[in-house]
Amino acid sequence: MNFVEQHINLQSEDLIFNSLRGLYWKKHDALIISDLHIGKSGHFRKHGIQITSNVQTSDLKRLSFLISHYRIRQLLVVGDLFHAEMNLDMHEFNQWRLAHADVEIILIKGNHDRLKPEIYQNFNITCCKKDLLIDPFRFVHEPHSESDAFLISGHLHPGISIQLKGQPRIKLPCFQVSKSYLILPAFSLFTGLNVSESDSETKHYAFTESSFFEF
Amino acid sequence: MNTTFHKSEGYKIIEQWMAAKGNTPFKFQNQTWIKYHNGYSGMVVAPTGFGKTFSVFLAVVIDYLNHPEHYKKGLKLLWVSPLRSLAKDLAKAMSKAVYEIGLDWEVAVRNGDTPANIRRKQERLMPDILITTPETLHLLFSQKKNSRWFKTLNCVAVDEWHELIGNKRGVLVELAISRLIKLSKRLKIWGITATIGNLDEATKVLLPYEALKTVMIKAKEKKKIKVISLLPDTVEVLPWAGHLGKSMVSKIIPIIHENKTTLIFTNTRGQSELWYQIILEADPDLAGLLAIHHGSIDRTLRNWIEDNVSEGNLKAVVCTSSLDLGVDFKPVDCVIQIGSAKGIARFMQRAGRSGHSPYEVSKIYLVPTHSLELVEAAALKEAVKEHRVEAREPMVLTYDVMVQFLVTLAVGEGFRDDDVLELLKATHAFSMLTNEEFAWAIQFITQGGNTLKSYEEFHKVVKDDLGVYKVTSRRISMLHRMNIGAIVSDAMLLVKFISGGYIGMIEEYFITKLKPNDSFILAGRVLELLHIKDMTAFVKLSKSKKAITPSWMGGRLPLTSYMSHFLRKKLSDALHPGIRERELKFLHPLISTQSTFSHIPKEDEFLVEVIHTKDGFHLFMYPFEGRLVHEVISALIAYRISKIKPLTFTIAMNDYGFELLSDQEIPIDNNTINQILSKDNLMDDVISSINAAEMASRKFRDIAVISGLVVQTMPGSNRNNKSLQSSSGLIFRVLEENEPNNLLVRQAYTEVFNQQLEEVRLKMAFDRIAKSKLIIKNSNTFTPLSFPIKIDSLRQTLTSENLDKRIKRIKRIQNDVYRINKS
Repeated sequence: MNFVEQHINLQSEDLIFNSLRGLYWKKHDALIISDLHIGKSGHFRKHGIQITSNVQTSDLKRLSFLISHYRIRQLLVVGDLFHAEMNLDMHEFNQWRLAHADVEIILIKGNHDRLKPEIYQNFNITCCKKDLLIDPFRFVHEPHSESDAFLISGHLHPGISIQLKGQPRIKLPCFQVSKSYLILPAFSLFTGLNVSESDSETKHYAFTESSFFEF
Repeated sequence: MNTTFHKSEGYKIIEQWMAAKGNTPFKFQNQTWIKYHNGYSGMVVAPTGFGKTFSVFLAVVIDYLNHPEHYKKGLKLLWVSPLRSLAKDLAKAMSKAVYEIGLDWEVAVRNGDTPANIRRKQERLMPDILITTPETLHLLFSQKKNSRWFKTLNCVAVDEWHELIGNKRGVLVELAISRLIKLSKRLKIWGITATIGNLDEATKVLLPYEALKTVMIKAKEKKKIKVISLLPDTVEVLPWAGHLGKSMVSKIIPIIHENKTTLIFTNTRGQSELWYQIILEADPDLAGLLAIHHGSIDRTLRNWIEDNVSEGNLKAVVCTSSLDLGVDFKPVDCVIQIGSAKGIARFMQRAGRSGHSPYEVSKIYLVPTHSLELVEAAALKEAVKEHRVEAREPMVLTYDVMVQFLVTLAVGEGFRDDDVLELLKATHAFSMLTNEEFAWAIQFITQGGNTLKSYEEFHKVVKDDLGVYKVTSRRISMLHRMNIGAIVSDAMLLVKFISGGYIGMIEEYFITKLKPNDSFILAGRVLELLHIKDMTAFVKLSKSKKAITPSWMGGRLPLTSYMSHFLRKKLSDALHPGIRERELKFLHPLISTQSTFSHIPKEDEFLVEVIHTKDGFHLFMYPFEGRLVHEVISALIAYRISKIKPLTFTIAMNDYGFELLSDQEIPIDNNTINQILSKDNLMDDVISSINAAEMASRKFRDIAVISGLVVQTMPGSNRNNKSLQSSSGLIFRVLEENEPNNLLVRQAYTEVFNQQLEEVRLKMAFDRIAKSKLIIKNSNTFTPLSFPIKIDSLRQTLTSENLDKRIKRIKRIQNDVYRINKS
């Protein structure tokens, strides 16, 4: 799989942005991702919208690749691991989970994670209701402004849009960094991009398959 | 004369009724009645204002009076019109006629505005005449046991067929008729249309049924149009777009005062907002007497404006094509067109909004926004004189509409595949449908896609034991009903005062670029954005003088090929204008400058200008095919030149021609020019020069909504289907990767070729260029023809760089020409 990395130092910690949409934290052998939305394509199909489950298959393949590439022990999902109800997409996720049984999964619950607690237990996923503090970071789903620690979150599916006059705009996913928070791009490719305004202090690490761009 | 008919009881009643009101039927009305009496279906071609409604409507009434035994209780005449706004007035007129004639018929309207209790009442007992839209008719098809309503039907009338035939709403009508004709054996079908270039084809598209006797009836009556160009005080030799605007306002104000009510047509919503401000500034006394009307203004406000125009309370209305059609306003005695109307049919339609009653002359003033538009004025005059009007090409094999229709039937009564295949193939749109394509559509709605496994749990439509395809899920039925139709608009937000009261609608993409406390203009008012919630933008009146006028998407009207033809002709005449051609005579200084420094292309010539300035090397070409076609041709020429010498170009264009600008010399001479303008490998080169996938992805937006892949969000709604939201671009990518044989994806590419690239027109243009004498002129200054293009803001850059390089370059010069939305 093709990818590029961008090294970054936040709160004196060395981190790596990966263009396959993950954040690697070597010190803890951890991969941090957000908004995987397992079961989304199944949810669409249940409502009569033709979306193939290949979408999810390719997301999980990418995740497997990152796990083995960095040889991580810990997978931190900062919310929206599951999109909606239990559906057949979960079988595939179950298979995937069994294949990566040695990885510890911690989920900080997002607005979409509304399944019964037993289901998370069955998948061997540790859940945090609100947030999780691993010094110096606080992991949370939705970014907010009342935190003592530096926030790492998801939820917004951040992206940037670049416009060349007279041409269709290009939209790219990004890691969004400010003085007090980092927002991760959505991991699933079956998600849209949120390109709403932010202040000029905020940095955007947008990426393609082959390059990172800082805006 | 048909004596038996004229002796019939029905005819006598109608004749007396008309005579009592001092009217005599027009000849085409009489002809329609006779043909209907003799069992014909057909097409009535008549201009607005000559009683075209009464041709078909009274034909049914007369037939009923003569043969009441042929009519059953329930629906007798179904009136399908593309315009919702027309329905109320039409129902009023028909009700009045029915009452005066002494029939106990009920006339009712059913469309998106009809309240639920009225709809339920209609479903219990249908009125005798129902006036509806294509969308609402399909919604009726999605109801349980709906066929009982249509079994009694004697006639379907399709009004304003010219407005439907060129788009997917027309396909909805074709499908509806194909179904109705199966439900009611004695059904007659009548279309009503304004003059278009392909009347025979238009008739065949609506009436492809061999079992029907069909006829075309053309009204002899013609609307007289008086076209007056407003000439500026002086002619600038180097004209540029928009420049003339403000200086022309002093000529517009007296016209407004001289006439009772004036409609002022602009081509875009943005322009209408600007002109509303300009006119009010020039004459503040018009405050309260001047209104603004366009598609983004709240419907109630628009209705209010329309009522006040009808009552003669307004002096003038600045509007867009939102008032091209619709209710006829009696007091309107003058029309002003600002800028080019881009098409002959549109121009004549707009002119016809004034002097509405038969035999009255329609008066239209043309206001150029730059001098060269006076050539267009001369061209329009000639076209009007020759009665040449554009054709409207029917759409075929629109798989998105087919998929929607199949699900509509499955939600309603269910369907059998062989029946529905026959029904589809009977229409013009799907007469070429193959069994494989049909099988794909069935698989798409029952199983989701080609590969079974990856579509588990997909049960949109299921086949029951009797072989009937049905939708069983209530939620899927509900979602589908919300999505029926073929009009797809950009995601819109309601604009509402924080203190209450709606102002209108605005595109989501525009408003999300604004920050709170930014000001923008809508409905002639400067508004300050406060916050956005539930697809609604809350605003208050702003005190700010500076505000952004929204540039609504899709605002640019394409120049039609007929207009192109007349434009080229007039320009070539311009050196020796006819005695009556005051526009061309006025332009003489400009034309002679062009002729001295470069050349005025004759009809059989093609002009190429190579101009070297301190900005770089400019190449100008003038195909006169309109901006949309020039977008394609310019990209193609840039591509062909870059094969000779790798160059990066900045591209600019207007309706007359385009410019390629490079920092290095462009290899254009008598040897290369033939190769660059060659018609060989045309489409292959076009495909190499554009990003077809990106274009198709944009075309896919409508297709995704119509076929139900994207759930539309209604303005003002709280997005209750949030978990089902996705963008069409995303779905396009997923389908392209996983289902390369998907017909909807294929359709997106076909639409790019037919509509975006205009393959047929492009080929004709290159045929013409190949036959033309190529004239290359060199110059060190801009010429009158090239200058407006140079100035024009719409610019494109074509490079062969890859995405990464492109972004790097944009970053480098981000504060210069380009704009980055950091977001």
